[in-house]
Amino acid sequence: MKFTEFIETIKLAGESMRGNKMRSFLAALGVVIGISFVILTGWIISGLDNALEETINLIGQDMIYIDKWDWTGGKNWKLYEARKDITLKQAEEFCSRMKGAELAVPLVRKWSVTIKAGNDSYDGISALGTRYSYSQTPAASIQEGRFFSIFEDQINTNVIVLGSKVAETLFPEGNVLEKIIIIRGQKFEVIGTVKKQGTMLMDFVDNQVFMPVGAFMDVFGGQMLRSAEVGIKVGNMDNIDEIREEARGIMREIRNLQYYQDDDFSLNETKAFEETVASLRAYVWGIGIGLTMLSFIVGIIGIMNIMFVSVAERTREIGIRKAIGAKKASILMQFIVESAALCFFGAVISFVLCSTVIFLAATFLPKVWEATSFLKPVMPFQFLILGSVVSIIVGILAGLIPAMRAAKLDPVDSLRYE
Amino acid sequence: MDSEIIIEIEHIAKIYEMGVEQVFAIRDISLTLRRNEYIAIMGPSGSGKSTLMNIIGCLDTPTFGKYHFNKMAVEEMTDDELAQIRNKEIGFVFQTFNLLPRATALKNVELPLVYGGYSSSAREEIAIKTLEHVGLADRMMHKPNELSGGQRQRVAIARALVTNPSIILADEPTGNLDTKTGEEIMKLFNDLWKQGNTIIIVTHEEDIAKHAHRIIRLRDGLVERDEINTSPIEW
Repeated sequence: MKFTEFIETIKLAGESMRGNKMRSFLAALGVVIGISFVILTGWIISGLDNALEETINLIGQDMIYIDKWDWTGGKNWKLYEARKDITLKQAEEFCSRMKGAELAVPLVRKWSVTIKAGNDSYDGISALGTRYSYSQTPAASIQEGRFFSIFEDQINTNVIVLGSKVAETLFPEGNVLEKIIIIRGQKFEVIGTVKKQGTMLMDFVDNQVFMPVGAFMDVFGGQMLRSAEVGIKVGNMDNIDEIREEARGIMREIRNLQYYQDDDFSLNETKAFEETVASLRAYVWGIGIGLTMLSFIVGIIGIMNIMFVSVAERTREIGIRKAIGAKKASILMQFIVESAALCFFGAVISFVLCSTVIFLAATFLPKVWEATSFLKPVMPFQFLILGSVVSIIVGILAGLIPAMRAAKLDPVDSLRYE
Repeated sequence: MDSEIIIEIEHIAKIYEMGVEQVFAIRDISLTLRRNEYIAIMGPSGSGKSTLMNIIGCLDTPTFGKYHFNKMAVEEMTDDELAQIRNKEIGFVFQTFNLLPRATALKNVELPLVYGGYSSSAREEIAIKTLEHVGLADRMMHKPNELSGGQRQRVAIARALVTNPSIILADEPTGNLDTKTGEEIMKLFNDLWKQGNTIIIVTHEEDIAKHAHRIIRLRDGLVERDEINTSPIEW
């Protein structure tokens, strides 16, 4: 078949669709829904991937956190709870013995802290006591001011670095530095703020404050504290396996574990989030693919049906075309192109529909439901291409059998057809 | 009559299976047609004239016998080869016009050229010339339902002429037209014949057949008479 004939075939498909607007739209509806599922699934997945990447960047891929709790969480909660707390003393001993890593710092945390600034107060903050060197980790990336110094650390100065949300809430007008805040009656001077970096998977990080561990113990020491943690920065990723094992060995010694006993602590890495996201992804894909398949099956049946009707209606036209020299391939192509065009038209409708839905959802949904804030208001570009290709393939599949029937029609019989 | 032979039919038969019964639409027909002949094929219904027309027009193939079109053996051709012959060598004109209702006169006339692989500019140029030739220069952009019966048949004739075929095969071309319009169409065929075209008209009307220079009468799937019309109606 010549190229000029193919162009005519495409024009013909367009004319045929314009001739039957309502019918074309209804026939393409299954495809519209199918392609919409593909795009929306892809959109949610790309949002999840984005959130995962941000989280990994926030924690740092080369970070290992030793904790009583395991980040993969969930099912073994009771097991983790039964573990003995890691004391600050154990954490500090660990840090002094851990040689292979670039950095090892103890962390102590207190949840649900209230901060006062002037007459305002702000609850639900997570206070973190750590060493000056924690500033070298991504979690403590400074936005404004500075992290506390080795000197402030050693003499337990009451200085504090605020998470972005804490800073915004307490000092909406800005000028955070050198402000004084009060925690449990003690005054702290604000010396810096941390970059806004909360993600779907770690939404609390913007609600943290950092202070020297000594100052932290002065304020909260008398209280029930959460188990301490150790943050380890591996440095060179090639060594992560050795460093993980070195850390495990040191910690087992400190915790007096016998060779037959399991670890009573967890070595947490960003991999844990990858696993969480992977299972979420699988979940979304599963639902998405299931719905997509279902609607494509319905869509193919709809298109196939309408193509059969179209072939029957145009039997005489097929006879005329054959009489004046259309070959089988030309007739076959005419109906396949028409079917593919019908599906592609469905895909275009779905693009318009989805971009509206995506924009509205990403703009307004997070305001009522914060967990959806990972959604982005842009349609993933590669899914436009995927959607177009899939729709055309669906069209070809749906049009194949009706088109073959049309191509096989006998010219004499079809010319006589009324 | 020693001009070039276009069609040579030798002892063809066409059998249709009707359930278990076999029906002979054509029993035994042999014919030789030369370039620039003007022929009428006549016969009552059931005489086999439609079947013969379909075979001559390469829409159908004979069950037995040989058919050579321009020395090519038609009975051995595949469907696609038949389609190509129809496209290049045969121009059909039907009783019911058989135009595409959604396409303009121009697009209808262009259609054979689309299947012939012409570029869109070449198609348009040739189609316009052909429409002018049949006297429809001012009706090119009209759709069939905006044209009179005679005009529609002119479009159909233009479509038949546009690939410059070896024969023009018309099946009851005036059957759906009033007498006056029918006469005009017959005049057009006469003009085309004078310009060197080969014309075959299938009809059951004696008045129409009288325009031809050779009349072939069929009965029961056989040639009853094949005679020269010594006094054709001239224009």
